[in-house]
Amino acid sequence: MRHYEIVFLVHPDQSEQVPAMIERYTASIEKDGGQVHRLEDWGRRQMAYSINKIHKAHYVLMNVECTLEALEELTTNFRYNDAVLRNMVVSMNEAVTGESPIAKSEKESRDRKKVSDRPRRERTEAPAEAATEAPAPAAEKPAAEGEE
Amino acid sequence: MARFFRRRKFCKFTAEGVKQIDYKDLDTLKAYVSETGKIVPSRITGTKAKYQRQLATAIKRARYLALLPYTDAHKR
Repeated sequence: MRHYEIVFLVHPDQSEQVPAMIERYTASIEKDGGQVHRLEDWGRRQMAYSINKIHKAHYVLMNVECTLEALEELTTNFRYNDAVLRNMVVSMNEAVTGESPIAKSEKESRDRKKVSDRPRRERTEAPAEAATEAPAPAAEKPAAEGEE
Repeated sequence: MARFFRRRKFCKFTAEGVKQIDYKDLDTLKAYVSETGKIVPSRITGTKAKYQRQLATAIKRARYLALLPYTDAHKR
């Protein structure tokens, strides 16, 4: 058994099928003793260039350990599945389990979105408080500068 | 006297002791791709030959998966 890294792009209109596809593929890998070490769903991403006149695609990354037969089954599956726009299989030396840089940046951007949402809500809730608080630090600052 | 003092080039990957350049690490790869999408030669970036080879395959893989553009002339 060997280690492989598989990335495949799914048509954005077929995004709902992705969980079912992942389930099917993991089942076929694990059927003859394989193992999925890492599974990442990057979600719908803007592509750097359009493929088949589509600008976005649903990306899925899998790091697996499986037999050649299982991999062949998977690649033929990709070939005959119209929802899969593109796929890439890279053989790896070892199992990779750490979070990939793309998944990390995706998570960060999601967190940032949450953070940027929060202050906006606070601002609308308490405009009066902010108005009374704001002059106080401003008044302190010139005094501190004067000391220096 | 028109003498330029260029900053010394150095290989980022050697300095950091990178084991394998990852094609998914787009922030790193983007630093080694020109505005038109070409791979920047190592004589300009100072990347060591071992890492330049890895970098080239990583960029090509990223391009295949539409993570990086091949050129800036892709129609939007």
